[in-house]
Amino acid sequence: MPTNDGSLRNYALSHDLMSMAGAPAVYHCHHFNLFLDQTIDDALGNTDGRKLRFAAAREASHDFLRGLFARLRPTTPAEKIQLATETIAKMGHGRLSISADANGGTAVGEFLHYGYGWAQKYGHRVRCRTPQDAFAAGFAAAALEVTFDLPPSVEAAETQCVAMRAPQCQFSLTKGAPAPRQTSLLASDVLRFARPAFDGQDEQQIATIAKGLRDFTGQVGGDERGLVQAFGVFVTMHLACYYNRIAYGALGELEKRAPTSVPVLESLLRESGHVCVFNTFGGILLSPEWEGMVGRPKTPREVVVGALAIARALGFGHWTLEDFAPNERLVVRAPATYESVYFLARHGKAARPNEYFLQGAVLAIAQLAHRVKWNEKVELTQEFYDSLFHGVVPWKAEQSKATTLGHEYSEVVVTKVA
Amino acid sequence: METNLKDLVAGVPSLRAVFVTAMPDCLLFDSYTAPDETWSADEAASYFGDLVRANRQGLKALKSWSSEMQVTIESSDVLLVLRELRGDFVVTLAFRRDVPLGMVRMYTKQLVERLDESLPRLEAKARPRGVRVREFLEKYAPDAHAALARVALRTGLQLELLRRPESLDEAQVERFETAVKDILGLDTLAL
Repeated sequence: MPTNDGSLRNYALSHDLMSMAGAPAVYHCHHFNLFLDQTIDDALGNTDGRKLRFAAAREASHDFLRGLFARLRPTTPAEKIQLATETIAKMGHGRLSISADANGGTAVGEFLHYGYGWAQKYGHRVRCRTPQDAFAAGFAAAALEVTFDLPPSVEAAETQCVAMRAPQCQFSLTKGAPAPRQTSLLASDVLRFARPAFDGQDEQQIATIAKGLRDFTGQVGGDERGLVQAFGVFVTMHLACYYNRIAYGALGELEKRAPTSVPVLESLLRESGHVCVFNTFGGILLSPEWEGMVGRPKTPREVVVGALAIARALGFGHWTLEDFAPNERLVVRAPATYESVYFLARHGKAARPNEYFLQGAVLAIAQLAHRVKWNEKVELTQEFYDSLFHGVVPWKAEQSKATTLGHEYSEVVVTKVA
Repeated sequence: METNLKDLVAGVPSLRAVFVTAMPDCLLFDSYTAPDETWSADEAASYFGDLVRANRQGLKALKSWSSEMQVTIESSDVLLVLRELRGDFVVTLAFRRDVPLGMVRMYTKQLVERLDESLPRLEAKARPRGVRVREFLEKYAPDAHAALARVALRTGLQLELLRRPESLDEAQVERFETAVKDILGLDTLAL
């Protein structure tokens, strides 16, 4: 049953899938967000990658904003635009100021999650040659369309980006030709594809920790910059349809253009799971909040239990522990994940197991459980990440069941490599 | 091929380390560190090579570059002198911080002369360009763990092929180099 905690955020508790104003939503950090966007551009090239990311952001934001306006009932265009930009700042995406009417206009971004996050993470090492805020661009376009009841027709070009060392991000919003309208995908639509929920080992403990984390994250919102800086990362509450649309959209396109490159893209999508678990799960497990609530993990099993609770609280799905033998094997099952329900709703049955984020994340949980010395001082640096995931990783992950293939649950089996 | 650095530096007081970096690849060619030092010579070598290269480009932009130029860095506990040698090498000498600068200059001059006689002539161009492109990528890519996979996606070249860059043909090297430039946001690669 969906449970409302008093805000626009809802959890379908039996499946640990989250929504925001009726749109499927999850929490992800800037490391994951930047890595995934970068992977899409690597697969399709900068121009087509950006087009896909913009289209995905516009579509997902459309559904989200319609739900938001229906719930809070702003009346004038100014109220609607203000509500849209205030809400996205509370979700950790930065401050966006839109100055436009039904014919277009401009938008200015301050501390936008992608551009600012890029500058913080990569700016000292690499020169950025393309704007990074396709999500904010798509959101601004959708804000105009929903506010003025337009078809998907607003184009948003980011003309300046802080990632390119501009003082602020700027967008020009113009009306273009109407794009084909994708059918909406709301939380109620995707939840129909969740298989019946079940429990696994250590269920009570996982559920209790997940509830504590949900209560904690329910209190967290964007600061004066519109950013959520917590656990050593910049966190966003993000639209799950954006992630899924760009990941599965890029895969579909690559299958047509360069099928021999598909395994490489799949491996990078799995890697995004490593990036997420290392940075966000690792940051949470090392945080004072976790120490106060649960205590520093002392055994690999405690790390696994904690990680599954974190996954649930972040809205990834009802990840359950099916089997765990330290240094040998980890098996995680879920009746639904934010990837699977989207794929089934949008594409139907899959040709192969395709919950890539789940696959990568479960492998990374095994790695975190065994290779991190939790009782010592741990710093989640890039060098540490490389030492864990670059080169020989002593684990192999296989998705043995997938609801997208028609199975009753999805299952990832991680085994130690001899 | 290595020089006998230990013998060459014998008798130079206050010398903490010598790093010889082969250019243009910025790879460690040889090193000497005093017995009580714990520096990682490999890691330091590439940075010193880059530093001299950047300095050279900067001075050229100011039209004041000469092959005799050297870089002196005075930090809280070490005095570094970096000197380009024939374009083949960058020699970095690390002295104790309390040595007078005049003495450091004199020791540097003596050591550089000895090294100039001992170091071989390198033919860096003989190394395949694909190999150098890969080394450049791995040194500077922000996500080193994913760098080669990213290139594979951008170029359509198989990962296995990119792992053996010496076997790439000219057109493949060009695609490789273009992808690396895109990833690093550079117009050219200083190889």
